[in-house]
Amino acid sequence: MRIVVATLAIAAAFAMPALAADQVEKAPPTGAYKKVSDLVKLPDFLPGLGQLYVDPKTLPAGPFLAYNRDGRLVSTVYMLPVEDLTNKDKRFDDLAAPGGKVNHVDVYFNAGHPGVEKPHAHVVLWHVPRADETRVAAK
Amino acid sequence: MVSRRYILRIGGGLLAGLLLPRLPLAAEAVEIRMQGNADGSHVWFDPVGLRVETGQTIRWINLDPGNSHTATAYHPKNFERPLRIPGGAEPWDSDYLLPNETFSITLAVEGVYDFYCVPHEHAGMVGRIIVGQPGRFPAADLSVQATGGEPIPEIALRAFPSVDEIMRQGVVRPA
Repeated sequence: MRIVVATLAIAAAFAMPALAADQVEKAPPTGAYKKVSDLVKLPDFLPGLGQLYVDPKTLPAGPFLAYNRDGRLVSTVYMLPVEDLTNKDKRFDDLAAPGGKVNHVDVYFNAGHPGVEKPHAHVVLWHVPRADETRVAAK
Repeated sequence: MVSRRYILRIGGGLLAGLLLPRLPLAAEAVEIRMQGNADGSHVWFDPVGLRVETGQTIRWINLDPGNSHTATAYHPKNFERPLRIPGGAEPWDSDYLLPNETFSITLAVEGVYDFYCVPHEHAGMVGRIIVGQPGRFPAADLSVQATGGEPIPEIALRAFPSVDEIMRQGVVRPA
């Protein structure tokens, strides 16, 4: 009996870190993430990005978690307002990066959209090879 | 008997009619398309400038598959923005339109109407509609800062086509 209890205690101790981290590999992610299209009036699936989730407390920078039509995480996106990037007193430090291994990175300008209304840069950490970007392309 | 001078006068009138921009009939809704490129780096209204008759219905349609847009009149009732539509005209705000959604209004008061897209004003997504006949509006350039409310960003002010250009062309497409 004592051995069983000890085994369970050890198993629980190892399980705790896994339970504490959010599950982000498949949509919907756990934790404080909300579907962006439920927070603001935007299409549920954005061509070129996919289905986005974000913790509202982290707006506007994110991270936004982007999923393909199969619900698999394809990228982590940060949205950085241009006026902040040109402000010497503004920094974006310690942005969360829960998506794991990064295959490649895209950075490009975006004119704005509900949620991040001012022109900003999209910094996209792709977790899939470039060929798989088509999984979030327009149909 | 029909004189040669009469024929010339009629012909001249017809020619002048062909040269003037054709204004849409009030019964037809005139469409303004909300558009954007694939990565969202550029967004616009098409046309960006338009001249119509009194009583014309305008219909905005969002043809941008990756973004939401609004058609919002510059008016203190809309987020305390400066007044840039005729006094006495009703302001409008479409709220966010998802792809393929539409919004319509009918413009009953003559004058110059300036409008913008709420999430894209800072990207210069604005438009101008002139309702009524040529020559009834002051020649002053309206692309200046109006008083009251949050100022209009410079990029938006620069994006308005001039009244003269709209009067001359009838329809002004984005550059």
